Amino acid sequence: MDETFTLLPLQIDPSSKALSALSLPDLSSHLTTLNALHRTLLSLPSENHATPPAPLPSNPKRTAQIDKMRDQANSLLRKSSPASAQEAVKLYTYAIEMALGRPGWEPAGMVREQASVLFANRSQAYMAVQMWPEGASDAETSVGLKRVGNGKAWWRRGRCLMEMGRWEEARTWVKEGVEVEGGGEGAGELANLGKEIEAEMGRRGMVVG
Amino acid sequence: MVNWVGLAVPFAYVGILVGSLATFSSLYRKRKAASSASLEPWFPAHLQRNIYLSLLHLEPAPGQEKATPVPDSVLKAALLQRACEDIRRVLAVRSAKQPLSTLLQRGSVGDDLWQRFLRAEKEVEAELRDVVEEANALQSGWGQVIFQSANEMVNNAIIREKVAETQAKAKADRDWWDKERANIQSNFMKELDDADVSKGTTSASGNERPGSDEDAVLVEGGGPASSGSAAGKGGKGGKKRKGKK
Repeated sequence: MDETFTLLPLQIDPSSKALSALSLPDLSSHLTTLNALHRTLLSLPSENHATPPAPLPSNPKRTAQIDKMRDQANSLLRKSSPASAQEAVKLYTYAIEMALGRPGWEPAGMVREQASVLFANRSQAYMAVQMWPEGASDAETSVGLKRVGNGKAWWRRGRCLMEMGRWEEARTWVKEGVEVEGGGEGAGELANLGKEIEAEMGRRGMVVG
Repeated sequence: MVNWVGLAVPFAYVGILVGSLATFSSLYRKRKAASSASLEPWFPAHLQRNIYLSLLHLEPAPGQEKATPVPDSVLKAALLQRACEDIRRVLAVRSAKQPLSTLLQRGSVGDDLWQRFLRAEKEVEAELRDVVEEANALQSGWGQVIFQSANEMVNNAIIREKVAETQAKAKADRDWWDKERANIQSNFMKELDDADVSKGTTSASGNERPGSDEDAVLVEGGGPASSGSAAGKGGKGGKKRKGKK
């Protein structure tokens, strides 16, 4: 790279150390992320000297907290009353926010894994209170984060679509799920759901392609 | 006695020849240098790098004698952002290299595109070295891990983007479903009035599924999530699934 650079008219706030560039509005979004990153760096323990640690091993505190919330929500969901399911949705939502709110330099694979489980569980909670659209999109998010070995999430979206009467969509979704899962965990149930959908479609006189 | 006039002719010939060759060569080189200098850069301006370097050379704000000293933590954040952009560029270069060289061999793309690409590759390499040096200067040993951190940051950003995208669909779906359900409900109520089924008065609970009224009545009786043959399966599946993870 050339030894030159473009000098940008940056200003730094003497007290808050926040950066700004009043004359260049295009820069503001970059500077906002930079300021946010700076704040996260400052929140690191002081022995780090505001330098992000290596991705591994990661900070176990947050993981423990998320796991605790998830277990609480799971036990609420097991009570199978609508009120406790609502409560579980709330807890899962907090846990999801925490999982996604991790500092960016922590391992992305871990975030992916945790968030996919949380979204799948929240989908289940939504299903318990019959909020099918939310359940469907949560399950889709979960599958988007973890495609293979996530049979439950595949099943849940299929179920939600079915409940909303989107038969064709449900059928293609479940079919794709069966292909992805192969013989893995939950594949049998997925296949059953597929059959059920097709039977239902046949009963309604829809063309099963 | 030397015939000066006779000799002048071959000398002039040689002189003109060499002179014209030299002119041609210098013109050609100049033009080539100009064209390679005017090659469009592969990547747009490296904004994060500019921010970082501008911070190092921060000028005093208007009305101030001295510039506010930039704390190290701000510099570190800026450097981390710069490293993230570098990771994106490295990925872009890597994924473009193979297809581009194939295209070049087939003659589908011009040579100057390849030149631009090679230059970009070199620039990225130099940039990486530069960032490692800067990182080590800010904090000894950071140079070894800064790109690991940056890589995770890029991946994390991708994950969050994807999640936000799918989650945004829920809102649209919800609107659609509310409309759809109101539709079904009004149809259902009409049918109920026709059939005069007294049980149907609790239909506001929102259990209906689109389809025939026969289904809808079953739903009323069957409780959440299911109807007909789906009831047993749904209930069982639901229970088994709960709280496994």
